[in-house]
Amino acid sequence: MKHLNDQELMRIVQSGDYSPASEIYDRYSGRIYNFAFRFLKNAEAAEDATQEVFVKMLKYANQFHGDAKLSTWLFSITANWCRDYLRKADNKPRETEEVLLSLPAPSEHGPDRALEQRENEQLVRRALQALTPEQREAILLSRYQGLSYAEIAQIAGCSEGAVKTRVFRAMETLKKTLAGDARGGDRWLNAVP
Amino acid sequence: MAECSALIEMMPLLLTESLDPAQRERTHQHIEACAECAAEWNAYRETWRVMEDLPVVEVPARVRDRFLAAAGIAAQQPAQSNVVPFVRRPAFKWIAQAAAVAVLVGGGWFAGRGTAPSFTPSDARIDSVSPIKPLSIAETRVVDANAISPEIEGRPDIANVQCSDCDASDNEISLQFDITSRWTVTGNPKEKSMVRLVSYMIENEAAITPRSSTLEMVRQAYSNPASANPEIASALAKVLRNDEHEGVRIRAVDTLTNLPPNLTLATASPTRDALIEALKSDPNPAVRLKAVEALATLAQSGGLDAQAVDTLRQKATQRDENLYVRMKAAEALRSIKP
Repeated sequence: MKHLNDQELMRIVQSGDYSPASEIYDRYSGRIYNFAFRFLKNAEAAEDATQEVFVKMLKYANQFHGDAKLSTWLFSITANWCRDYLRKADNKPRETEEVLLSLPAPSEHGPDRALEQRENEQLVRRALQALTPEQREAILLSRYQGLSYAEIAQIAGCSEGAVKTRVFRAMETLKKTLAGDARGGDRWLNAVP
Repeated sequence: MAECSALIEMMPLLLTESLDPAQRERTHQHIEACAECAAEWNAYRETWRVMEDLPVVEVPARVRDRFLAAAGIAAQQPAQSNVVPFVRRPAFKWIAQAAAVAVLVGGGWFAGRGTAPSFTPSDARIDSVSPIKPLSIAETRVVDANAISPEIEGRPDIANVQCSDCDASDNEISLQFDITSRWTVTGNPKEKSMVRLVSYMIENEAAITPRSSTLEMVRQAYSNPASANPEIASALAKVLRNDEHEGVRIRAVDTLTNLPPNLTLATASPTRDALIEALKSDPNPAVRLKAVEALATLAQSGGLDAQAVDTLRQKATQRDENLYVRMKAAEALRSIKP
């Protein structure tokens, strides 16, 4: 299966044979999960999202026509899932514990760099939550998934111009938030002597 | 100035290298000539760089297992509607089956109460009133047909139907089925039945999100000393010891931390032991970090015993422990008054 491209794998799925499911999952689950995790700031919901996105991919495989990239289609399903999730009143992004789930192994770098990385990670997470969901979706897809504005527009169901505006506003907010936090924000690790 | 404003709007595109070569060249030339735009560009680049420090999180292996299991189900069931296939939750099978009884036995009685205004009085004399038996939640039920109401509320999903006629001579047939319906149980959190049900749910609910939501509800409902319950504390300790999902274990620690201290501080308390055990051996550093915080909070509430302090001390000095856990443990020790 590994030698087949996405379109070929999906054609097999569309014929009713789900044997490429694990290969497609292995190719995209990391990106899907990380997008959902950063968007929702909730590891449990990101797990549910990842599972359901791939189940939907199998179930509605015939709706994939091959004129878009498989990744774009999968991100469309994921973004829809995440928007629905956030729409529910009790599913607002959480503040603290999920941040802790991704504690990096500090041994990769020196302690100073590890601390800086950890601080930055917290700052960025907090800053991302200050964005509107539309802005967050656009910046996550642009910055971390490397998608073009045209692809993001397809996923978000808006124009490329709107994506450009969302990314720009997101960057403006992030720039201000990160600069503000770095100057006088609450860097909890600094509090530990 | 208008040129600067237009150029700043292009900066995200410059960062993603999405501009064509000519635009890129023009933009860079302007940045080199304009101090204000150069400062702005540096700020954009720095923001972009800091964003790189958001780590890539690995997908837990269980998600793959769950997906492949679900894919197996999907393979046998062609798409018919715009609905994700329902994955049976084994731990809650008992609720589904017991729901049959609720709908069929309880439904008629409740429906009768709900439609009281249309009830036609009769002259029939009531000689005796049978006490209403408490409705128990059971995995399986065997009931006589005359014990259930002929009314079936809504259209509950029925599966695994089996019909049998074990004894042709007794003029009876038997129907067996699973039924999926929804229960709403309301009551004071202190009621024994509610405590038992909540404990069962946090230990047995198969899906992560509702399990976590239940913990959050527990945190709110049982943190008051008036409603504190050792059975709930024990259930949380089991979750902390056994749950495969680190997010749920973290939530269990949070919930334990919010319980009244008398439930967690006692030397023989299973919850205190669970916290110490989590700190010693939980594979996820985030959970261990939370356990340190929980023990520190408990210490501030009334002191910890020597075993807990020793564990914190050991963690603070353990070379191969996660740096943040060590720092937190050291911080917790400093906060403990001798």
